[in-house]
Amino acid sequence: MSCDRVRRQLTSYLDGELEGSDGSVVRGHLRECAACREVAGEEAMLRDQLRQLPTLDPPPSLWAGVQAQLAAAEVADAKRPAWRRALARWAPVAPRFAAGTLVAAAAVGVLWWRSHRGSADEVPTAPSRDLAVVPAPAPAPAPSPPPPANDLAAGCAPGAASAAGGEITADLAGEAARVTASYCDAAEDLLVLAGEARLQWTDEQRAAFDTKVTELRGQIDRAIAGRPRQRAWRELITYLQRAVVRDDVALAGGGQ
Amino acid sequence: MKAAITAALLLVAGVAAADPATPAKGLVEHSRLEVAPGGRAIKQLTIENPLGDIKIEGYDGQSILIETRKTAPDEDALDRLRVSLIPNPDGTVRILTTADGGKEVRPLSRGAVRIDLIIRAPRDARIDAAVSAGSLEVINMDAGGELDTASGPISVRNVAGGVSTHSVSGNTSLTQVFGSVDAQTLSSDLDLDTIGGDRLIASANQGKIAGRRVRSRDVELTTTDGRITLEAEASLRGHMVVASLRGDIDVKLRRHGVVMVRARGAKLNLGSAMASAKSAKDGWVEGQLGGFKPSAQASIVELRSRYGLVTFAVIE
Repeated sequence: MSCDRVRRQLTSYLDGELEGSDGSVVRGHLRECAACREVAGEEAMLRDQLRQLPTLDPPPSLWAGVQAQLAAAEVADAKRPAWRRALARWAPVAPRFAAGTLVAAAAVGVLWWRSHRGSADEVPTAPSRDLAVVPAPAPAPAPSPPPPANDLAAGCAPGAASAAGGEITADLAGEAARVTASYCDAAEDLLVLAGEARLQWTDEQRAAFDTKVTELRGQIDRAIAGRPRQRAWRELITYLQRAVVRDDVALAGGGQ
Repeated sequence: MKAAITAALLLVAGVAAADPATPAKGLVEHSRLEVAPGGRAIKQLTIENPLGDIKIEGYDGQSILIETRKTAPDEDALDRLRVSLIPNPDGTVRILTTADGGKEVRPLSRGAVRIDLIIRAPRDARIDAAVSAGSLEVINMDAGGELDTASGPISVRNVAGGVSTHSVSGNTSLTQVFGSVDAQTLSSDLDLDTIGGDRLIASANQGKIAGRRVRSRDVELTTTDGRITLEAEASLRGHMVVASLRGDIDVKLRRHGVVMVRARGAKLNLGSAMASAKSAKDGWVEGQLGGFKPSAQASIVELRSRYGLVTFAVIE
């Protein structure tokens, strides 16, 4: 038996997993080959050292967490509609199914093209009556709005809005953040609209707007999390909405 | 002091009963509690219930009657639901609902439990209440309040005093409010019926506003995307601004005295009453109803929608 083969079998040998003649062959090789004997000795020593390491018990919370996650997954699974559960069962074979469908579609496409290519010139160029009516474009927005005066993205809590669900205590703890995130999103949308509206404003109006928004942003940053911060966000939204909807920054700046 | 007031609380009834008759929906626990003030009237009631509904009804008594209904899938989950009552020396009372973390291994989802509160409060107590997805209803109160929800609906009926409501996506309905109103929603509708305070400020970002029998002197209705319909009375020296960015505006006005109207929209339909209206600068159309010359007593009505239809009519 070669050294390579013996070394591949060393782990099994040391674990006592080699049966019958296999074990004696390795043993015989080790008696004669000093290099392999050295390797086996090192591995045996490593195993002894590993065995001497203290046994670490996992913290009780680990198992509790695993159980909690399993239970949460079961609850989530139970809440999923039947069609989604069925879809999940089909998910492992979905790629193969998709590939098959693609091949079949390609084959049908080729056949159809071959049978119709002679009459291609007869296809009318006028739009079909069956085509969906395209709605009239929305009122033309400003050509290219300048960047908003203040970037709110940093203040929004990304993902907070989707943090609902899970354990009740964690869910309740995230409640205020989710509401705040909704206000933040609305403010961002209005700020984009304000970016369009500011094209019509004078430099003084733009400066007044930027100053006011900065001031209101400062109030938000200083406000305590929860309802006080939501109140601060609402003030900003009210200001932005007045500026955008009533397109009069001076009026909006007058506040209430 | 706090302890003294707490000791002065009169706990008339506290009945808790698990109802095993409804296992399909889990366990339900009802309890009732009466809290009487220790010599000082209750000025303000603050209630935060993120786990269900709040209904507050004013009455002529002095104590607070709290009816709690807890729902949970089992006994352990029911034990985690808490209602705290915190009376303060300054005459305010706080009621909070929470779910204990406890030592539960099994997780409890928020949708599986519920706490609903029905509260009868002295009519002259101010209300400060917040819910999450539950409904928030306030009836027959005299000192107004501030009401917040995330996605639950708000309903206010027969309330005097300043009322301030805020909701992210819950519809808001205010009926018979005789005080200043400040109502704001982000993506839901606002319904206003019989509003009589000095000032009405209402705004919806992505929702509609509908107002009927509005008699406030200063009215300011604003939406970004939603339609605004308003049937209102113009009062002397009143100021009404109805504005939307993309929504249509439909205002019917019952007028007393002279009314100055100015309107601007993608399309205007000002009716026969404004037949003599003149175009002013920046696309505004202006006209006067009643009288022949500008009056200091005139009320001012301003209607504007950048991309919507503005309709105006006078109800005689």
